[in-house]
Amino acid sequence: MGFDMEQTDQLILDTAHRLFTDQCDAEIVNCAERGKTPERLRQAILESGLTLAWVPEEAGGVGGSLALGFNLIRQAASFALPAPLADTLVANLLLAESGLAVTDRWAALAFDGGELPALLQGEVNGVVDAAVGAPESAVVVVPVLEKGVVKIATFAPSTIDIEHHENLAGEARSRITLDSAIPGQLSGPVDGMTADGLKQFCAFVRACQIAGALEKIADLTVGYVKERQQFGRPLGKFQAVQHMVADIAGETALTGAAVEQAMRRVSAHPEPFIGDCELLFPLATAKVVASEAAGRVTRVAHQAHGAMGFSFEYPLQQYSRRVWGWREEFGSEFSWSERLGMAIASEISSLGAGEAAGCAWDVVSR
Amino acid sequence: MESVRFNFPAPESDESVEELRKEVRVFLEDEVRSGGFVPVTDCWCAGVDPEFSRKLGQKGWIGVTWPRQYGGRELSALHRYVITEELLVAGAPVHAHWIADRQSGPLILATGTEDMKRNILPRIAAGECFVALGLSEPESGSDLASVRTRAFKVEGGWEITGTKLWSSGAQHCQYMTVLARTGERDPNKRHAGLTQFLVPLDSPGVTVRGIPDMSGVEHFNESHFENVFVPDDAVLGSVGEGWKQITSELALERSGPERFLSTFVALEKALQRSAADMNGHQATVVGSIVARIRALRTMSLGVAALLGQGYSPEVEAALVKDLGTRLEQDIIERLREFWPVQMKQGYGDELQYLMSDSLLRQPSFTLRGGTNEVLKGIIARGIGLR
Repeated sequence: MGFDMEQTDQLILDTAHRLFTDQCDAEIVNCAERGKTPERLRQAILESGLTLAWVPEEAGGVGGSLALGFNLIRQAASFALPAPLADTLVANLLLAESGLAVTDRWAALAFDGGELPALLQGEVNGVVDAAVGAPESAVVVVPVLEKGVVKIATFAPSTIDIEHHENLAGEARSRITLDSAIPGQLSGPVDGMTADGLKQFCAFVRACQIAGALEKIADLTVGYVKERQQFGRPLGKFQAVQHMVADIAGETALTGAAVEQAMRRVSAHPEPFIGDCELLFPLATAKVVASEAAGRVTRVAHQAHGAMGFSFEYPLQQYSRRVWGWREEFGSEFSWSERLGMAIASEISSLGAGEAAGCAWDVVSR
Repeated sequence: MESVRFNFPAPESDESVEELRKEVRVFLEDEVRSGGFVPVTDCWCAGVDPEFSRKLGQKGWIGVTWPRQYGGRELSALHRYVITEELLVAGAPVHAHWIADRQSGPLILATGTEDMKRNILPRIAAGECFVALGLSEPESGSDLASVRTRAFKVEGGWEITGTKLWSSGAQHCQYMTVLARTGERDPNKRHAGLTQFLVPLDSPGVTVRGIPDMSGVEHFNESHFENVFVPDDAVLGSVGEGWKQITSELALERSGPERFLSTFVALEKALQRSAADMNGHQATVVGSIVARIRALRTMSLGVAALLGQGYSPEVEAALVKDLGTRLEQDIIERLREFWPVQMKQGYGDELQYLMSDSLLRQPSFTLRGGTNEVLKGIIARGIGLR
């Protein structure tokens, strides 16, 4: 970990790790789902300025690199953090990119990869089915579309229609209905930002989260099979169980590699929200691999854990339910696979027959 | 709490790497166009063409990382990597020199006498000298430490008696690296008493008999050694170092692009066929496969980078091989939904031919170079379970 990260970035990551370790344990996560809001933890995160990691210093932020934010997101996921850190990071980044005022409190990101609400003559109309972080948010950040151009709008939560739901892991996912709603803040056109590029970026955020969660699932499984004894020895001494753990390690390593490669690419790109082929390939690869791995790893991990892993109290379920939800968000492995396949086909068929030979490899290896 | 973490750093690249890649591509395109070779699947095992290997040697694309005084070019591991992946995806017939380039040459460099290095390495680099691996035996596959081939000390050298099995390509090779027992068997020290010898295959007492495999290829063989004499300086390294030598090279052997690109040539051909009117369903299957290839390549390059930094990433290499070889098989299993595979050699249709050959060869992918089950054991041990 740590490509493109400055020394200060690493310090921030270490600080966050200490904070999460001290204040976020499995019980806090379960209690949060049962309605006991983890106020101390959330306050500590806000006070640490982590939600402003992606905001430049001159706009009141921490000025961290893209890599820092993605690593922070991955790390938070490995704690099953019961706070909308990832989405507030994205929301504040959008605010900063579009020249709007950022927030030092929680922000809701009203974007789920679906059609953007439409802006017409100052009013916004549309529905976002699965906005993140709405219940505790001070501001709702909504990317909108005005005649094909992306702008960022903000609303005070009390001024719009919000229906609270939960994803599979009990994380808040709210349906937001905007009916001729007038934004509190509205940006101009945001350079270098397309709806598809935004979707790719957010899909990648989920891939980072899945990577963090899978690492935790792998750790839990290794710990469990070393401890748990049956038939006179630890489960981990059985060859069948060793092979299961090796399979978990493989999928987790593959996901980590895909995520890190995409992180390098998006960090080096001048317009991370443009969604061009340079970004589509690595970002879609990360989401496909992470989403596929989510299903495989959880199946094997639960099997290795036996009945204990099926209980609410034992933390495994916090991670499996999260990755089951995250793998669907901003496009599943199926839709991004299709995008990738079509993109390759399009490149190949745009060449003449003579030049097409070797083109697939050229595209795949780029 | 345990931490299951792997690191796959990006190797440092420069213009010379991409230049080299282009050079190799242009050469291969010319060769295909002029009928120099017909692309085959699993080409690093099934594609034998000593003349083609010699051409590559003349281009300076074999032994590229070796010292110049032994015929190498002192290029980086990344340079070698891009040469090998371009050869693989083109389906070029590279089997003859593959083992010599990948591991026998480096073994000689690390453990051979000065004479060996000066006499043999330049010939390997020229694509004129090929080496086979004498490891497996009829009674020793995954359990390599149980080999029965014996080397007895005699005046001025050793006499080797035993049988090696599989040893791909021995029919075309000038040498074989033979793992033999030189010390008494000790159940408490199973890996002790093993030595590797560099044996000229034209030595008296050597018989090589080809064994056809289920895909019709006959590069496997049974090599029998009957009191074959080799001089003392045929010992690689020192007596008793055999096991250490074999295990020390595993990270390099197991993590390369040949562990996930063996069947890419079939995927490439299928894509050319279907690109113009690809439907969503096909695209989904293709995209899923491609995503996995890309991620595996990142892992494989990461291992190459770690090797270049002086590490020996045994677990990471095992992960690449375990995942990669299964993907090589999955590619055919998933593509057959659109291109059913029934006919041997497919009535001359190139895609059918590549698909059917790939299918007939696929059982070997997860067996060769360490079965996936053995690899999973290595991974589990690396994670602390054994």
